[in-house]
Amino acid sequence: MAVTNPLGIDLDQYKFGFHDPEDKYAFKSRKGLDRKIVETMSHMKSEPDWMRALRLHSLGVFEKKPNPTWGGDVGQIDFNDIYYYVKPAENQGKTWDEVPADIKKTFDRLGIPEAEKKYLAGVGAQYESEVVYHSLREEWTKQGVIFLDMDSGLREHPDIVKEYFGTVIPPEDNKFSALNSAVWSGGSFVYVPEGVHVTVPLQAYFRINTQNMGQFERTLIIAERGSEVHYVEGCTAPTYTSDSLHSAVVEIIVKEGARVRYTTIQNWSKNVYNLVTKRAVAYRDATMEWVDGNLGSKLTMKYPSVYMLEPGAKAEILSIAFAGEGQHQDPGGKVIHAAPHTQSSVVSKSISKSGGRAGYRGLVKVYPGAHGSKCAVRCDALILDDKSRSDTYPTMEIDETDVQVTHEATVSKVSDEQLFYLMSRGINQDEAMSLIVRGFIEPISRELPMEYSVELNRLIAMEMEGSVG
Amino acid sequence: MSSNPSTVTSALDRDLVVRRSAAAGEPDWLREQRLAAWDAFVRLPLPPDAGDEWRRTDLKSLDLASLRPLDPPAQKPEAPAGLVALVGDPAAAAGLRLVVDGAAVQSRLTPELAKAGVVFTSLEDAVRSHPDLVRPHLGSVVRADENKYRALNAAFWGGGTFLYVPAGVEVDLQLVGGTWLTAEGVALLPRTLVVAGDRARVTLVEVFGSSGGTARTFADYAVELVPGAGAQIRYVNLEDWGPNLWEVGIVRALVGRDATVNTLMIGFGAGLVKTNVESRLLGEGATSEMLGVLFGDGAQHFDYHTLQEHAAPSTTSDLLYKGALKDKARSIFSGLIRADQGAQKTNAFQLNRNLILSEGARADSMPKLEILANDLRCTHGASTSRLNDEQIFYLMSRGLPREIAVRMMVDGFFGEIFDRIPVETVRGWLSGAIERKMAGYV
Repeated sequence: MAVTNPLGIDLDQYKFGFHDPEDKYAFKSRKGLDRKIVETMSHMKSEPDWMRALRLHSLGVFEKKPNPTWGGDVGQIDFNDIYYYVKPAENQGKTWDEVPADIKKTFDRLGIPEAEKKYLAGVGAQYESEVVYHSLREEWTKQGVIFLDMDSGLREHPDIVKEYFGTVIPPEDNKFSALNSAVWSGGSFVYVPEGVHVTVPLQAYFRINTQNMGQFERTLIIAERGSEVHYVEGCTAPTYTSDSLHSAVVEIIVKEGARVRYTTIQNWSKNVYNLVTKRAVAYRDATMEWVDGNLGSKLTMKYPSVYMLEPGAKAEILSIAFAGEGQHQDPGGKVIHAAPHTQSSVVSKSISKSGGRAGYRGLVKVYPGAHGSKCAVRCDALILDDKSRSDTYPTMEIDETDVQVTHEATVSKVSDEQLFYLMSRGINQDEAMSLIVRGFIEPISRELPMEYSVELNRLIAMEMEGSVG
Repeated sequence: MSSNPSTVTSALDRDLVVRRSAAAGEPDWLREQRLAAWDAFVRLPLPPDAGDEWRRTDLKSLDLASLRPLDPPAQKPEAPAGLVALVGDPAAAAGLRLVVDGAAVQSRLTPELAKAGVVFTSLEDAVRSHPDLVRPHLGSVVRADENKYRALNAAFWGGGTFLYVPAGVEVDLQLVGGTWLTAEGVALLPRTLVVAGDRARVTLVEVFGSSGGTARTFADYAVELVPGAGAQIRYVNLEDWGPNLWEVGIVRALVGRDATVNTLMIGFGAGLVKTNVESRLLGEGATSEMLGVLFGDGAQHFDYHTLQEHAAPSTTSDLLYKGALKDKARSIFSGLIRADQGAQKTNAFQLNRNLILSEGARADSMPKLEILANDLRCTHGASTSRLNDEQIFYLMSRGLPREIAVRMMVDGFFGEIFDRIPVETVRGWLSGAIERKMAGYV
């Protein structure tokens, strides 16, 4: 049965993955990582000296740092068996007509042009390591909004990039942020000038295509005072047999009174290690919202963070994890209260089935002096069979008296009464399960843009097929 | 680290294990058990693991090698006033044992209980008098090779307590064990073993205190609780050590079919506490209630790690830990609910609440769930807050002085746990201890 969603994605195809011939690359580095590869990459991109120096420094940090000993098992990743840089043959297209035909074919299958016509202000589609297609509606350009792939951002706005790049997530933060800082390619660069409200979400699609190719996109979003933007990142990858690594870094600066929402629904194929560092800093009265859905990948370790640095800053994190057979979803979130009267809320919904492992790992930190701050964390888990596993690891470090911090978590199964009720109304068991699961994640899916919400529901329905009996 | 040569050339060595065991006239099996523990002690690293458990408590400045295990005093000391106060009304107890610096100064049990076959004595005596009751369990619940501190206790334990209640015997009044330390700069290594036969019921209250001093003193204890099928053990552990004492402890219950274990940990004293409290529910229908009350002031550091392990179907656990923190005190609560595969119909609850009374106090809370079964109910929660100004204002507007209003709020905070403490003397002691901690707080 071919299911088509509003994005025009043929989900049956999507489910099993597809890939284009691999011989269309202009440059493909040899496997493995050393100074030479990093220098070549930086040279081919004609980067300024400071960026090359930062890459080389980061490589040193990466080599020194040990793998994390907590979370999922990353010991299986062979860093020497990965292509760190692949540049497609064609240069970046400016209009749809200029995009090469076989790349277009991939996008057609992902449904990007249709989606653009209907909903999008701009599209940044990442084909392999290089963003090959970009457009931005004229009205935003007039308002001074910049929405580019990161490589173009660095070329065209070197001053802005230099001022912010690596300031929110320094290479030293962790092993994978160091790796990304050394070999990053692509990603998005978004700059929203003071007072500008971007009313339609900015969207970017990311794809991994080469077997054993790590994808290391780098995204930087700067929202000036009083501005507003919603950025949507979608991830899909064709299914391959050998493991692949995706390690992105996303840095967001939300200035006074600004509001940024960052939405991700990742559906990497089930052999991908998805190890991502995402962090935002929020200044006075600013609001940062992460909406983070994790359905695909073999292992996801991703903890979107908000550092509330000035009074009145707010953070909201919504997290969904769905783990099926062979999957380990270890997402979560961090909220850091470093100023008075800051507020945060974290809601996590995780579902595990068929031996999958899903959960929540988080941190609430309240620094001394952050008086009047409030934080509420709520984690719910649904386990659909007796082979699956759910973990909840919240950590609360409270250094201030005048605060309210609460955490609640529940783990349960699908209630027999609910199931029985739905079936008594003539709904078959599969569908009833699917309805209940969709109801369970509804508090988060309703926060998604409509087309994503529909896609999420379809994906869940697909994952739930045959889950009963 | 552990291979530090001073460990071997110091107050502690293998020969000391042999000599102490011989002096106590211990049987061969116990000497061998102690020697195996010694080998584990030498082998195991410090800190015990590189993981999360020891990240927030730093015992590096504690030089284990320099701490000689306490030798029992030559003369029988008197029971100090501090210990008498900790124990409370002795008439409320069906049995009472007072141990000062490792030597029993008082030991009694009502004749009815003795006649019913209840044994309440020192672990050292029980090894000789009831080897068939002790040997199968001693060191089987808390093993020596788990970490260096547990190995140290297993190699050198002394001043221990043994409680046995035969099948079907129900003891209504609590049994009380009081441990007091007058020495300083030593290591106190008590060990407690409670064995309850099928359908037996008993309450053991252990209280710990010390005269203080300035030299770093170390208490490293292990408590093993073994209820039979359908039995119930209530275990209360109340510590009010002097500020120079650091405590590392483990309380573990193996809860079999339809058995119930209630633990209550009360932490008021000591400079530093790092204690694990674990209920492993191994039989169908096993139940455990785990309560904790702590109140830190000054620079006190409390680190409690709890485990509710559901290893069998239809098991229930319910944990509530409440802590109040004043001055620069710090608390860490790290609690794990684990439901193993196949542990269907599990009910597990976990709640940690912290009340911060001063700027500079700090509470870290890590409630964790690892759930591998699907047909269960499992919830946990944690909260950290301070006294509610509006509520205090309301009470003051009704004519109460601020001090009384604050005290009522603190009592209210602990109220829900007090209601669940069935031992009158313990409730009475807690009430007085909170008042002492709150003295001078505005």
